[in-house]
Amino acid sequence: MKRKLLSLMLVGTMAASMVACGSSADTTDNASKDAADGAATEAVQSDDENTLTVYAWDENFNIPALKAAEKDYQDVNPDFKLEIITQSQSSDVEQAVTLAAEAGDYSTLPDIVLFQDHYFQQYVTNYPDAWQDASDADCDWNGLGAEKLSYSTIDGKHYGFPVDAGTAIFAYRTDLLEQAGYTIDDVTGITWDEFDKIGKDVQAKTGKYLLCMDGSGNDLFYMMLQEEGVSQFKDGKPYIKDNETLVKVFEVVAQLAKDNVLYLANDWSDYTDQAIQGDMVAGVFNGNWIIPTMKQVSENSGKWEIVPAPTLTGKPGYASNGGSSLYITANCKKADLAKDFLAYTFGGRSADDGQSTTYDEALLNGGVIGTCAAAAESDVYQQGVDFFNGQPIYADIVEYTQNVATVEQSDYHYQARTHLGTALQNVLDNGYTTEQALEEAESNLKFDMGL
Amino acid sequence: MTKKKNRSMIQRRLIPTYIFLIICSFISVFPLYWMIAAATNASINVARGSIGFGNQLFINFEHLKTAVQGTLWSSMGNSFLYSIVQTVVTLFVCSIAGYGFELYHDKGKDKLFGILLLAMMVPAVATMVPLYGLVSKAKLLNTVWAFILPGISTPFMIMMFRQNSRNFPPDIMEAARIDGLAEWKIFFKMYVPIQKSIYAAAAVITFMNAWNAYMWPKVVMSDNRAQTMPMFIANISSGYTVDYGMTMLGVLFCSLPTMIVFFVLQKQFAEGITGSVK
Amino acid sequence: MTLAKKQLAAGWLFLTPATILIFIMSFYPIVQAFITSFKSGKGVNIKFADPLTYNYQRMLQDVIFKTSMKNTFLYLIVEVPVMLILAILLAQLLNNKDLKFKGIFRTCIFLPCATSLVSYSLIFKSMFATQGLINTVLQNIGITHENINFLGTASTARAIIIIALIWRWTGYNMVFYLAGLQNIEYSVYEAAKIDGANGWKTFWYITVPLLKPTIVMTAIMSINGTLQLFDESVNLTSGGPANSTITMSHYIYNQAFGQGVGNLGYTSAMSFIVFIMVAILAFINLKVGDTRD
Repeated sequence: MKRKLLSLMLVGTMAASMVACGSSADTTDNASKDAADGAATEAVQSDDENTLTVYAWDENFNIPALKAAEKDYQDVNPDFKLEIITQSQSSDVEQAVTLAAEAGDYSTLPDIVLFQDHYFQQYVTNYPDAWQDASDADCDWNGLGAEKLSYSTIDGKHYGFPVDAGTAIFAYRTDLLEQAGYTIDDVTGITWDEFDKIGKDVQAKTGKYLLCMDGSGNDLFYMMLQEEGVSQFKDGKPYIKDNETLVKVFEVVAQLAKDNVLYLANDWSDYTDQAIQGDMVAGVFNGNWIIPTMKQVSENSGKWEIVPAPTLTGKPGYASNGGSSLYITANCKKADLAKDFLAYTFGGRSADDGQSTTYDEALLNGGVIGTCAAAAESDVYQQGVDFFNGQPIYADIVEYTQNVATVEQSDYHYQARTHLGTALQNVLDNGYTTEQALEEAESNLKFDMGL
Repeated sequence: MTKKKNRSMIQRRLIPTYIFLIICSFISVFPLYWMIAAATNASINVARGSIGFGNQLFINFEHLKTAVQGTLWSSMGNSFLYSIVQTVVTLFVCSIAGYGFELYHDKGKDKLFGILLLAMMVPAVATMVPLYGLVSKAKLLNTVWAFILPGISTPFMIMMFRQNSRNFPPDIMEAARIDGLAEWKIFFKMYVPIQKSIYAAAAVITFMNAWNAYMWPKVVMSDNRAQTMPMFIANISSGYTVDYGMTMLGVLFCSLPTMIVFFVLQKQFAEGITGSVK
Repeated sequence: MTLAKKQLAAGWLFLTPATILIFIMSFYPIVQAFITSFKSGKGVNIKFADPLTYNYQRMLQDVIFKTSMKNTFLYLIVEVPVMLILAILLAQLLNNKDLKFKGIFRTCIFLPCATSLVSYSLIFKSMFATQGLINTVLQNIGITHENINFLGTASTARAIIIIALIWRWTGYNMVFYLAGLQNIEYSVYEAAKIDGANGWKTFWYITVPLLKPTIVMTAIMSINGTLQLFDESVNLTSGGPANSTITMSHYIYNQAFGQGVGNLGYTSAMSFIVFIMVAILAFINLKVGDTRD
């Protein structure tokens, strides 16, 4: 029996390797090339004139939104089909574009890609031929949130269709605040110094942190800066050690961490699994996409409420973090269909202007909150949410969206974050002064940028 | 009687060894136990590190079946297909090379072998962009060939076969040649049948590597219909909110085949490796 | 064709597919990378740098690359010897003919390397999490009194990477040693026993020297694997906190694909240096292992 199996295996070996050697050693081997050719093109492009392909990630968030859009658009185009090709994360899409560009062959890309906002400008600079201008799409660009569009608009040309607003929320556990002797009003419209004081009380009374940050994203700095309307960059150059606002923000973060008010999670999973789902925190400050993660802890339902974030001066703070948009690639041969589809579904139009169900369904199925101001008027957006003590948080968040300041973006946005995160560790663990740490961060960032 | 006593004394002296081995085995197996337990739990309990069994197995399975456009079984099928083709092709190409290097060796071939060994040291990151370019130009993306090409010929495998070929007596070759057997027939008729265990060992290693490969397949198998099990797992385990119970069940599915292959080929594996370290 | 010529041709023919494949799949790309390493700029703006060695000079000033090199060598120096010694020890213990349940022990200890990477990184992260199993156990037996953020502290995070590597690869190496031990005649041990050598002595003076070829082979494989270490750094610690666990390959990958950088010229230059380092170490290893001849 065993011998038979083995000989079978060997026969298979020979047969398969003959083919393999042929096609590998000699790539012009016609038979295998043709066979492969068909398979490859079929993979990311469809011959059907009503089918579009799209790369997207996150089964619980973006993909339900896209499915909702497909269904919505089928009302006007019943033959329409959206083929979603799941990627594990945003960087997979970036990698796919990079590789296609470096190989000089965009035909491996799908019609549409979901793309992270912060990276897009860089990809237009590096690979201008990879994208199609979508300015003539029938969208209500004014209704989509100026801050959001600032990522996807380059030289006045619109490239992207916003999917989710990265608008930040600051959520507090009211029950824990109460134990420490505070109410939700006490944390509304406060400065970071007052926040620190309350945070210390909460830590002393309840053993919970009032804030946490994902140590691989280091997003707190960016959000706090955006609240003040300031960027880590000025005129395309790093603006760190001489940036007074940034220095203050940095000192606040370091102080919060020292006072055990801020929990520094190591990475994303530590942030979501330990800090939030492990019930270590009494406050969460992040893009609104964090809500589904919070909701996993069902026993805390009704105990959360959302307010604008603290700032350096005490005015209400608005920021955004994360978020992505849909872009049409150079490889899309059905650009008109793509534009029509995206304008119909994610085009920011009001209900009177033909807006239908995409935004509502995306919110219901994926928790995706759009950037469209008009969408907030629907019943779905206006409803109270039990988890947040009946607060109509979706409408609130759309309102926050309109208040987020536009700040200078850079191709090196994430490097800036990483270096600030490193600076924080250096202050907390390695005995650096703020000045030394920020100086090093700036010089490292300059190094990255080749300045 | 004395023999029995003697034996029990030996066993008693081995007690520290047993304890040490049990501890090592426990440490090795515990994370796997945890994986199985996690597959039966709800996500939140997994995230909180519970180590008992839960009652969510079927719910997790239902979720798993619909994840990533319901590609669980096709991913499993792809992984089997690619890994088996990879194993078969690799075994063939590397065994004839190892055989050639050892039994026909001369100065030129020894030098060439030294050069080929260098390939082991080429970092994967460095070759990714040029290799992708090659595969993309050859229009092989999303095909099994894209998956297997970089892994077919590896210096390590050639070395393994070469070492093993040392026990193949040259007299047999001479005798066969005198009988007028063609060179390739000597390989298939004389060499292959007596080298079963090295083929088994090489098969286990190649299959394992192919099954667990992630970086390269992620780059060239972008279509969900072509994706492998590790890619499927990656697709369900990243995102804003991860269902850990479901993910761990997926991981369990992904781990079983390599374990089974090892269990089944265990004995031949050990024998095959023995030859290669002579 | 004469018989000798035929044989010669057959010999070369046997190596041809493997050789061609290695040339196309490994040497062509590394040559490409070498050429790219003299270029700077990104995407459509990439061109030959001025001066040509720009990327190599850049590397000398790159603080994070130096950190990643330090980390990688730390892993190498600590992990490889500990793992290989542990593997030899286990093999030696399992090679005892009086031992029962050998198969079970062997399988258990080998299993970690058969698990897929994604699963094992998830498991380790969860076990060492701030409120995870290890913290709970440590507190219950009274060793520590509060939760330790293992993965968030530089020293412990490095230790976890090393532990994870040892967990995963010891069994794999053990199998090679077990195999090597099969080639040692049992009578050698009997003779040693009669001469009065104890367990440790037999281990150091008989087992280790006889296993030398195997040790050299596994050492080369481990050194190569560690210098190109990528997965653990990415999946367990994301290189953090503050780059204190990042490996060379991880940093190189980040410069190519991570964070949307696409700095391929610089990436290629760094990979080329890694290639040379691995080659040098492997060469030294082979020379040291060869002293008996």
